Amino acid sequence: MLLEKGRISNFQLLILIMGFVSGTFSLMTPGQDAGHDAWVAIVLGLMEGLCIAWIFTNLSRKFPDKTIIEINTLVYGRYLGKCISILFIWYLFHISAIVLSIFSTFLNVEIYHFTPKAVILLCMMLVCASTVNRGIEVLARLSLILVIISITLICLETLLLITHMDLKNLLPVMDIPVNKLLWVSHSVATNPFGEVVVFLMVFAFVDHPKKRFSTVALAMITAGSFLLIIIARNSMVLGQAALTSNFPTYLAVHMIDLGDILTRAEVVVAIDSIIMVLVKVSVLFYGTVMGVAQLFDLHSYRPLILPIGILMVIFAMTNFGNMIEMFAFVNKGHVLYAVPFQIGIPLITLIVARLRGLPPKWEVEN
Amino acid sequence: MRNGKRRKTYGLIFLAVMLMFLPGCWDSHELNKLSIIAGLGFDIDPETGENKITYQSIIPNQVKNPSGGGEGAHAIKVVQNTGSTPYDTLSRAMQHSSHNLFYPHAQIYIFGKESALQGIYPFIDGIARNVQSRPNVLVAIADKEAADILGAQDEDENIQAIGLTNYIKLSARFSNYQAVTFLEFCNRLMSKSTAPIAPVLGVFEEIGPDGKKMKKARITGMGVFKDDKIIGELNEMESRGLLWVIDRIKSGYIIVPDASLQILTAKSKIIPELEDGKIQIRVEIEVQSKLAQYMGKQDLTPSILKELEKRQSEKIKKEIMAAVQKSFFLHADIFGFGEAVHRSYKKEWQELEPGWEDYYSEIKVVVKVKTHINEVGDISKAVIKH
Repeated sequence: MLLEKGRISNFQLLILIMGFVSGTFSLMTPGQDAGHDAWVAIVLGLMEGLCIAWIFTNLSRKFPDKTIIEINTLVYGRYLGKCISILFIWYLFHISAIVLSIFSTFLNVEIYHFTPKAVILLCMMLVCASTVNRGIEVLARLSLILVIISITLICLETLLLITHMDLKNLLPVMDIPVNKLLWVSHSVATNPFGEVVVFLMVFAFVDHPKKRFSTVALAMITAGSFLLIIIARNSMVLGQAALTSNFPTYLAVHMIDLGDILTRAEVVVAIDSIIMVLVKVSVLFYGTVMGVAQLFDLHSYRPLILPIGILMVIFAMTNFGNMIEMFAFVNKGHVLYAVPFQIGIPLITLIVARLRGLPPKWEVEN
Repeated sequence: MRNGKRRKTYGLIFLAVMLMFLPGCWDSHELNKLSIIAGLGFDIDPETGENKITYQSIIPNQVKNPSGGGEGAHAIKVVQNTGSTPYDTLSRAMQHSSHNLFYPHAQIYIFGKESALQGIYPFIDGIARNVQSRPNVLVAIADKEAADILGAQDEDENIQAIGLTNYIKLSARFSNYQAVTFLEFCNRLMSKSTAPIAPVLGVFEEIGPDGKKMKKARITGMGVFKDDKIIGELNEMESRGLLWVIDRIKSGYIIVPDASLQILTAKSKIIPELEDGKIQIRVEIEVQSKLAQYMGKQDLTPSILKELEKRQSEKIKKEIMAAVQKSFFLHADIFGFGEAVHRSYKKEWQELEPGWEDYYSEIKVVVKVKTHINEVGDISKAVIKH
């Protein structure tokens, strides 16, 4: 009994990863701690992200039609495998809740001052649940439309902000100490690029496993260059003030002023973040319910959508006491927290699989 | 099958009904329940130390018919309140208002002289933290009280704060004073070396269109800050000198003996040079101008234009040196020379940065001006008998 009957193409995977990565930077700005050198941190972070991607795409190429849950069972055996799978599912669930809480905080702080967070989260969750219920193919097709909208909005914002940019704000290059720069670039590597590790739940439903790394790398580089544009633009428009703002992209777009007619365009940023968070949370949510279903050998993941969705909303509402705590975890705590999940589990699994001679040769040839 | 169809219909009806209740429940802003703020003034009472906030709010149904004129029909009202902190004051103002205060349309923040002397950081923090405030609002200093400036009138615009903002932006085009936005002010405040600046406004009496005396706000200088406290003021000439250096000259006139010249384009570059551990700043300026008026009563020749160009560059040099002298006197790096050194000499800057304030007034500034008169207008001969 197959849990997922849909298949997606490599191009759809590329778009899905792009949407997934932009889900992070439509909300917050990774690498912001490096000040005007944030763009350097992003370039370095992207390189490290590609190394992480190489590890987990290699793992998925060894087991082309299996998700990480099935791989774990195969490699570590029934009990140890399931324990590791639970850890991985927890990571998906946790990241999803973090994204939701950043999202709800952003909307709460900037636009819906009096709307309860629960309402914002429930509205988002209902759409995500409905998407996940329809399977991976619908999610992939949806993300194509949304990513095109998002790219258009980002390009439009950037074009309208060109007159406000000052190249001097990016100088001098490499102003911060190297160890701090590396630390920030590592944080960029884990969030958003390393998070693509959650696609280990999705790779099993993608055609042409041989092109996996090139697809993932292309998606990361494309999304990374958009991130680079946004970050450099924010620094150039805002200068040092980009450091103080909680949501610099939102603040930067405030500056758009086309002859006193086209002003107050900042709601565009909110639209962009809503649609990109939809893609990101849907992928994470899909991974979580699919993982739980495979963990318990269920026939369908659909009955899990409602309970896990509710748990996710509750967790998103309660995991952070305030915005300072939230950013402290996302920018500092997550840097170390993510390492075992993004690098540890795939790398060790890969090594153990090789030592145990898995998968057996006859299976690969078939 | 039929069951499914019925469920779908019920679902749609349910959604349609919900749609009536959901929109804008919590965050609705109704125009008739808002007090739209056009300008905010911040003062500190020197005797009691209390905060005083003055705001000018727009009365929407009066804006459309300015012909009403006379007494009674004002498009704005000016409200004053006092309190212990900025937000205490604002909350007191809100308690006495029948409408909710709405900030996103504020055009200008004005800080009174006393608050600028005591430090405006409490206000700056309050503004920056408020999610409704925008980074491109103008910042200005009042020569006495901010309340006086917001109480002045504007004969062309029935919302005075908008008139005032347009006036500051227009006068920035004549390149005597600079319009400073909140974002620029904050960036200078956050910079480790550059001193914040903001235009200073004063109130003058003028004869209005109806023959009565009216109060109008005018720029009188550029205030120079150290951190968040005002320490001095640049006059018109020094302010022009500042604008030459920071590349903010857009248009305007240069008055030299015998001629008035209109600035067409102006470019400037700050080039720091490091020789034997000593900083020298080279300011290179390139100006192209147009002869607007010539009082020499003779036909123009190339040598006359050369002479005018020379006078023009001397004038510019004089203005810049006046600004430099004033900034040395105030020990305030208004030009951003420190940032320029930082950009070019990253390593040396680490040593210079802590003592920059004292070191600043000892640096050597060399000004090089390249001027060219491109156009002479419609006539090249004098319109008078020789």
